[in-house]
Amino acid sequence: MAIDLISYSLVPLFAALIIPFIPRKHRRITEIIANITLLSGIINLGYVIIYYLVLNDYTSYTSDAFTTLMLFTIYLVGMAITFFSTYYEVEKDTNFSSYYSLILVSVSAMCSLVMSRDFFTLYIFMEALSVCSFALITSDSKTFSIEAAIKYFFLTFPASVLIIFGISLLMINYGTFDFDTIKFTSMNFLTFVSLSFIILGFLIKAGIVPFHFWTPDVYEGSYSPVSAYMAGIVTKVGGIYAIIKIVMLLSSYGFGSNLSKLLLFTGFLSVFVGAIAATVQKNMKRMLAYSSISQMGYIILAAATFSPIGIIAAVFHLINHATFKTVLFLNSACVEKSTGTTNMDELKGLEHRMPWTSWTSIIALFSTAGLPPLSGFWSKLLIILALWQSGHIFYAVAALIASVFTLAYFTIMQKKVFFGKLPEKFNDIKEAKYQLLIPVVVISLIIIFTGVFFNRVFPYFERILS
Amino acid sequence: MNTNTNISNLILIPILIPFISAFLILLISEKTKYLKEVLSIAVALLCFIASITLLRLVGENPIIYQIPWLGYREMMAFRVDHLSAFLLFAVSMFSTLISIYAISVKNKGYSKIFYFLLLLTQSAAAGSVLSDNLIAMLFFWESMVVFLYVYIYISGEGYAVRKAALKTFLINGISDIAMMIGIVIVGYISDTYLMSSISSNKLILSGWGTIAYIMLLIGALTKAGAFPFHTWIPDAALNSNAAFMAYIPAAIDKLLGIYFLARISIYLYSLNTTMQVILMAIGAITILVAVMMALVQSDYKRLLSYHAVSQTGYMILGIGTLNPIGIAGGLFHMINHASYKSCLFMTSGAVERETGTNDISKLGGLFSRMPVTAICFIVAAASISGIAPFNGFFSKELVYKGTLASGWTLFFYAAELGSILTLASFLKLGHSVFFGSCPENLKDTKEAPYSMIIPMILLAAICIVFGFGADIPVSKFIEPSLSSLGVVVGNIELAGFHTDSLFIIFLVVVIIAVTNHIIGFRLSGKAYKSSDHIHHAPVLKETYAMADKGYFDIYEISRYIFAYFAGIMFKVDRFFDKLIDDIPSAITRWASEQLSRLQSASYRVSMFFIFLFIAIYLLYLGGIKWQ
Repeated sequence: MAIDLISYSLVPLFAALIIPFIPRKHRRITEIIANITLLSGIINLGYVIIYYLVLNDYTSYTSDAFTTLMLFTIYLVGMAITFFSTYYEVEKDTNFSSYYSLILVSVSAMCSLVMSRDFFTLYIFMEALSVCSFALITSDSKTFSIEAAIKYFFLTFPASVLIIFGISLLMINYGTFDFDTIKFTSMNFLTFVSLSFIILGFLIKAGIVPFHFWTPDVYEGSYSPVSAYMAGIVTKVGGIYAIIKIVMLLSSYGFGSNLSKLLLFTGFLSVFVGAIAATVQKNMKRMLAYSSISQMGYIILAAATFSPIGIIAAVFHLINHATFKTVLFLNSACVEKSTGTTNMDELKGLEHRMPWTSWTSIIALFSTAGLPPLSGFWSKLLIILALWQSGHIFYAVAALIASVFTLAYFTIMQKKVFFGKLPEKFNDIKEAKYQLLIPVVVISLIIIFTGVFFNRVFPYFERILS
Repeated sequence: MNTNTNISNLILIPILIPFISAFLILLISEKTKYLKEVLSIAVALLCFIASITLLRLVGENPIIYQIPWLGYREMMAFRVDHLSAFLLFAVSMFSTLISIYAISVKNKGYSKIFYFLLLLTQSAAAGSVLSDNLIAMLFFWESMVVFLYVYIYISGEGYAVRKAALKTFLINGISDIAMMIGIVIVGYISDTYLMSSISSNKLILSGWGTIAYIMLLIGALTKAGAFPFHTWIPDAALNSNAAFMAYIPAAIDKLLGIYFLARISIYLYSLNTTMQVILMAIGAITILVAVMMALVQSDYKRLLSYHAVSQTGYMILGIGTLNPIGIAGGLFHMINHASYKSCLFMTSGAVERETGTNDISKLGGLFSRMPVTAICFIVAAASISGIAPFNGFFSKELVYKGTLASGWTLFFYAAELGSILTLASFLKLGHSVFFGSCPENLKDTKEAPYSMIIPMILLAAICIVFGFGADIPVSKFIEPSLSSLGVVVGNIELAGFHTDSLFIIFLVVVIIAVTNHIIGFRLSGKAYKSSDHIHHAPVLKETYAMADKGYFDIYEISRYIFAYFAGIMFKVDRFFDKLIDDIPSAITRWASEQLSRLQSASYRVSMFFIFLFIAIYLLYLGGIKWQ
């Protein structure tokens, strides 16, 4: 593990351990500890990243820059969710101390995961993350959420088997788990099978088509901030991150043409099935879930090129996806809190009452659909560029067409929920509390600034992923 | 070349002063009386004086003034030769007279807007005639279309006015686009936009040159109001005021249209015989078609508006002859027409103001009530009909001579026939408005106010002066203009009274027209019905009925064609819509529903799928060849 960054992993863990000892009636203290823990982390990380971004000078930068960026993203989403949950307050009977503990533990697990330098550590923290996720999904007392948790458990457990199997094969073959000491001098059968098993396991964990059956139910069924958390960061770090890591590892040895075909096809399938299925969804959260599947397909497509620009695009899109999907899920949570439903057939004309929610949704969906100058445009451009340059013209065109679908279903969502005439029954609803809007607006601003100042952002990515 | 800066300022006065004053007028409240009018008249008068000065200063060499603009040194190039100075003089003169006349016109809309438009039009017209660069000219020329539209739009309310305004705008706008295309082609093939440079190496009619000439011709003919682009003028006459009609369709448009026609036909191009015949034919057809329509009209202004079209035919015929006499006749007729037609429209405005109507069947016997107006009408009507010795006689005589000299006698007969019908229709108009018995409700009609009478008298005086002293305008304006167009006049006598065979023909024309009127009057018993024996003649009756329905109106025909075309395009669009929208949407919806159904399957089915796909994955792995 990256020892110099380990405090980012340990501090949330300690905070999570303290929280259960706070009496349940002092809820504020629990919330303050959770928020302060993550806030301090985000300030530290933000300072490091912005320092280099603004100075544009990377001479003194350590090799852990990529890890730092991932940590920042994890902390950003975790912070947004924690802050949002503090003021959300729908369920009176939720066990808050366990809720915040779980979030902090999962943040810690994710941080450890991105800091791990060998396959076994990666696997352990991935499992820890999964366990936290089961518990988080059930934090909503509705029966539906328990059903979703069970579904999540049953449909992803084959992944654990496959991963541990693949790791064992690697161990037999090379005698080590360490990323740095494994030398893929030749792609023999055993190496290939073990890597394929590991990738297959992580594909299932990430919920890529055709292993996506659990995702819509989980995202729709769980407590709204948890949906945002799961869609925004947990499944990305738990699944996609490991795939990107393996791709980075292999591409430095010049392997991967067979794996490339496999991943490209899965990514392509995911992009299209997610986008097409999203178009007729009635529930806002379910539509976002399908959108999430589709966007993860993009990341896989980019990673599958095994080229430097593809890896940059994959990481950039992963981070972008974390920002805009968090915004959209949090907005759906705001809508649910104000109107009591996320069924889009019942919603209409909310922009007259919830302008901030509407506008941040527009920013996030434009970014998802890849409209300049927002950040999503650049990552999609890089993805298509990477596909084109590596000769996968068919997939490049397919990615382009799929972004039309993206725009289509998000326009449908925006129209159904926010545009049109306000019905009578919604006459006295109000905009969400300003505390709820703060994380949404801050992340929206990040989307805009990342897109507008892309000339600064791109060299940074190039540098840290070289 | 004279590039004295004092003279350069003189060029800018007629363009800039009206332009700035127009916006000053907008600052004046609508309730403030006379200030707007006084300002407008003063500005017009100032421009008039400047134009006279320019006219005197222009010598053998033209005055050139170039303003660098948009990185091109010759973009705003002004060049004043005799023709431009003459046109500027005419534009300023009519602007002054109309400014005075419009004080008492009631239905001109907001007087603020009216004078604003009047000054802008004057500025744009001055810019058009002074520009040497075709693009700069187009800039001024096109800006007039907007003013034209607003002029008609503000003069009334209701569907008819809006329709007439839109029609005017579309016909003029589209013809201006044609002209723009022509100018671009001319600039491309001759490598310069300066008319003076093009004229030193004249274009010929071949290939792109022909297309460019036709495009420019469409622009010039539409501005002048020639057949078949004239149809907005009668519609505008019904729905607008006399001041507008006297100013734009009667004066400014004719001046600019014929000016540009002369420029392109003689100055920029050396035309061939085919184009000469086409031009003369357009002229002859315009004369006949419009005068036939004018003959049967029962509205004072509408009748005059058809004559405004008809008289354009003489000018086009004159210029189309391409010989010095004909061109001189065309240009002379242009200034003559502007003066008498403006005067006639002014009389119509005066009559309308005093009696409240322009319908000639409700008018009569106004001579004794409005003697000055009546006398002005008679002078102007005699001029337009070509009665000696008023100005129309001399210019028409020049056109006839030019036509005969070109060898195309057919067009000469057409022009003479047009003369007969012109005189007949004015006998009808004058008889029914100013003579005969006066209806009861018009018994106490009064003479028009001085602000209307003075411009009328001045214009009538011009008709007389240019007639009796035809050598004054010919020697001062027409001959220098011809020389600046590059036409060699030689020793031909252009002015003066000739008792030759044409005079005999003129007498025959008068006799036929008067006889026709008497026959018509006797047959119907009413003066305003004196053309009914022509109106109801076989064949003609049906033709007139079709004309009333707009079957010969290029605008209506185009509208019909475009509606049909739009219908087809709509169908095509629906088809493509189905192809690229409906069908993919349906497929997507179907696929999406299937995928969603798969989602709601039970755990066992989901698990089955997952293991199935894992198995497929592994089988796929087994089939891959390792590196």
